[in-house]
Amino acid sequence: MASTVGESITTSSPDQAELAPSRRPRGNPWRRPYAMEGFTWLYIVWSIVPIAIAVLFSFNKGASQATWQGFSTQWYVGNQVTSVLHNPGLHQAVIQTLVLAVLTTVICVPIGVGFAIGIDRWRTRTANGLNVVMIFSFVIPELLLAVALFLLVTQALTFIKLGTPAEVAGLVVWNISWPAIIVRARLVSIGRSYEEAACDLGASRFGAIWRVLLPLLAPAIFASAVLVFASTVDDFVIVEQLSSTSNTQPMSVAIYSNVHAGLSGPALNALATIMLFISLVAALIGFLGYRWMSRGERTKGGADALTGIAGI
Amino acid sequence: MSGGHVKLESLIKRFDGFTAVDGISVEIQAGEFFSLLGPSGCGKTTTLRMLAGFEPPTSGKILLDGTDVGNWAPNRRNVNTVFQSYALFPFLTVAENVAFGMKYKSVPKSERDGRVAEALELVQLSGLEKRRPNQLSGGQQQRVALARALVLRPSVLLLDEPLGALDAKLRRTLQVELGALQKQVGITFLYVTHDQEEALTMSDRLAVMNHGRIAQLGTPEEVYDEPADAYVADFLGVSNLMDAQVEPGGKGQGPCRVRVGDFTLEAQAGQLDATGDVKVAIRPERIHVHPYEDGGVNCVPAMVERLVFLGSTTHIYVRLANGAALQALVRNEGSAVPYSQGTPVKVDLPADALRVLPDPGVSVSEIHDETLGDQPLDLTGSVQATG
Repeated sequence: MASTVGESITTSSPDQAELAPSRRPRGNPWRRPYAMEGFTWLYIVWSIVPIAIAVLFSFNKGASQATWQGFSTQWYVGNQVTSVLHNPGLHQAVIQTLVLAVLTTVICVPIGVGFAIGIDRWRTRTANGLNVVMIFSFVIPELLLAVALFLLVTQALTFIKLGTPAEVAGLVVWNISWPAIIVRARLVSIGRSYEEAACDLGASRFGAIWRVLLPLLAPAIFASAVLVFASTVDDFVIVEQLSSTSNTQPMSVAIYSNVHAGLSGPALNALATIMLFISLVAALIGFLGYRWMSRGERTKGGADALTGIAGI
Repeated sequence: MSGGHVKLESLIKRFDGFTAVDGISVEIQAGEFFSLLGPSGCGKTTTLRMLAGFEPPTSGKILLDGTDVGNWAPNRRNVNTVFQSYALFPFLTVAENVAFGMKYKSVPKSERDGRVAEALELVQLSGLEKRRPNQLSGGQQQRVALARALVLRPSVLLLDEPLGALDAKLRRTLQVELGALQKQVGITFLYVTHDQEEALTMSDRLAVMNHGRIAQLGTPEEVYDEPADAYVADFLGVSNLMDAQVEPGGKGQGPCRVRVGDFTLEAQAGQLDATGDVKVAIRPERIHVHPYEDGGVNCVPAMVERLVFLGSTTHIYVRLANGAALQALVRNEGSAVPYSQGTPVKVDLPADALRVLPDPGVSVSEIHDETLGDQPLDLTGSVQATG
């Protein structure tokens, strides 16, 4: 075996031996990859520094967004007029964001889970087609969907009013692929044997889903709920199109419209920081919750595929 | 608990254009340890899944103590399964796993703890009640799966390659235990395996399956010593198969004379009244290897190709002049085998061990390919809790 390998190398490229010395990597091939490490750090700095600066100036004592004038929390709570707490517009935006995030998550996740289980059971060409539709939302431009939904709710489905109802409807449509795809991936990796075991032990089909399948899906359901929540908090395009009055503007839209109207100031930095904080907390809860729920399945030190898919 | 008589009547299962089970009829007595043995794809697991209720039969009957349960849902059948992947619920403790089914069998709550303890004691796992499946070894998980099924006192226990995922040594230990356990509980065991050693050591009777049909049904001794055809002979243990022709004349009386290559051999076992093309089979342990100078009836010249030392025995691979490859099994009794590669020898194929089998119309190598099958690789099935 060894001799044939040696032969094939020499016969396939006879000049290999002459070229070999000059092609040999210089130095130690197992040395630390300095270039790669350096580039990684550059990327991290590049993406985090602007955010850090924006967060920093939300704690500025003065009204400047460029000159540091000392630490204060006045843009959050202190200032009686323009702080996030006291400015009704900004205050309402935080509440609206949380309302949208909770409603969207509560509506979106059960539908997505039902969809995933249904598609998994209903193995036909139609089902496969519907599964592809789920990937559409990753592909089609969000603005296209937002404009289409705007036309739909203003022209055809007028019983869905612009504002919170339309925003929730739009966000559910946009985010349903998270639970649908994550839960389905989990279903595929679980296989049918647990359910079969439950039925074998006496459970009905519904009982098997309730007592065995849902607990097994819990980590995936939870992970997708967190992703839907975080993605809703961050959303701008859909809510911008489908909000009506300033009362139904979530934080992203409030920041945008204030900046657009020339009404900037550290209070907007404070609002953006709150938005960032909510997303980070959701991600952290998601990470810890997922680890806790799937504790019975982990082998030491192993990250599983789903954590990778979920990005948490 | 009582009952456990199973009768399959011309059971057929077809999937889109593919017949997995092609007319199986078999009767399993209550309390019997019965195995379905065959390479993967022979229909044994499909048969078990139909009995468990996971697949409806295309046609035929599944009679469980006289009642046709063919179209009953799995949860209505008094039959429990031990899965190849165990399918233990990872979010429940050992005790909760074992207690899972009792809720549905309306076992009073006061009795459940006692029954769990009893079942865990039966499989020697007392003290591990609070553990989760991923904290157990493969062998322990297998025992939990067994306890979870036995605690419901089914009339039939179905076992789908339950030892397939374990290493060889543990498998041997558990084979013995499983056999003893079955005698103790007296439940009918239907055991599906591709491992001939498992089937031979544990079963009261077994059915060798091939292409969705039963190739032979009998006790382990019958099936091993008197294989009905070349396929069964080759599948059960190493069998030396050779193409041969029956010499005309002397039909039915005395030994059958068969021609293998340039040599005429006497055979005293199998289908002695066969004519024309046949296969002859001999077990490796029945072949004797002698020095080349020796001679006698049924002694044919051969060349040693390879020696494989296996500890208690040595396999001698020899090739006859007509190209047929044979294996002889020699017990190691202190002295080394006096042959080496390339030594000409005489192999003695005793007439009483040489078995004439009907010609299946395929070559010896095709039979080999079939009996080897694929190794059971479970890529599509469930991901074990322990990963």
